Amino acid sequence: MILARVDGHAVVSIGHPSLKAQKIVLCTPIDEHGADAGSPFAALDPIGAGQHTRVFITTDGSWTQNSVHDDTSPIRNQVMGLVDDAE
Amino acid sequence: MKVGKVIGNVTLSHADSGLRGGRYLVVMPQGAKELTGQNPSGLSDAWALVAYDNLGAGVGDDILYVEGAEAMQPFEHRTPLDAISVALLDTYRYEPPQSVT
Repeated sequence: MILARVDGHAVVSIGHPSLKAQKIVLCTPIDEHGADAGSPFAALDPIGAGQHTRVFITTDGSWTQNSVHDDTSPIRNQVMGLVDDAE
Repeated sequence: MKVGKVIGNVTLSHADSGLRGGRYLVVMPQGAKELTGQNPSGLSDAWALVAYDNLGAGVGDDILYVEGAEAMQPFEHRTPLDAISVALLDTYRYEPPQSVT
C-alpha cells in the first residue's frame, strides 16, 4: 500500500484492453507528512480523486484484475481511497 | 505503472515461442523532471530498461509500462518478462503543487 498525491492524469487511446474506459492518474508517492517520497507513477482511479488530493493506493495486481474484471490485466496500481489524515 | 519514453528497439534473431507477436523496446523511465518538462530530452539519470511491446510503440513515444510479476499476466503461458508496455500515452498532465527541484 502506498500513500500518494494525485498530481495529474494521462489519456491513452491504445493500450491493454483492461484499461478501456478507465481513468488514469499520475501520482507522486508521499510520506506521512506529505513530503515527496519517490518517483511518479500511474494508477487506475475508479473513485475520481481530484488534483492534489492525498490518496491510498494498492499495488496488489490480483485485486486490480478483479476490479477491472480481466484476469489478463497486468495493471497493479489502483486508487483505493482518499486520505483525510495521516500522521 | 510508470511513464517511460521509448528511446530504442531491441532486435532478436531467436525468441521464446511465448513471445511471438511482440517487440522489445528500450525505455527510459520518466521522473518528475521529465514529466514536468524541466528535462525536455526525456533522458533521465535512471537506468533504461527493456520492455515487451505488442501495441506498436516507436522511438519517441511516451508509454505506460509495468514491471514485476504482473508483466506476464497477459500471457496464457508462463513467460519470463520483467517489463511490458501497457498503453501508448496520447497526452498527460503532471503538475506537482510546488516546483520540483
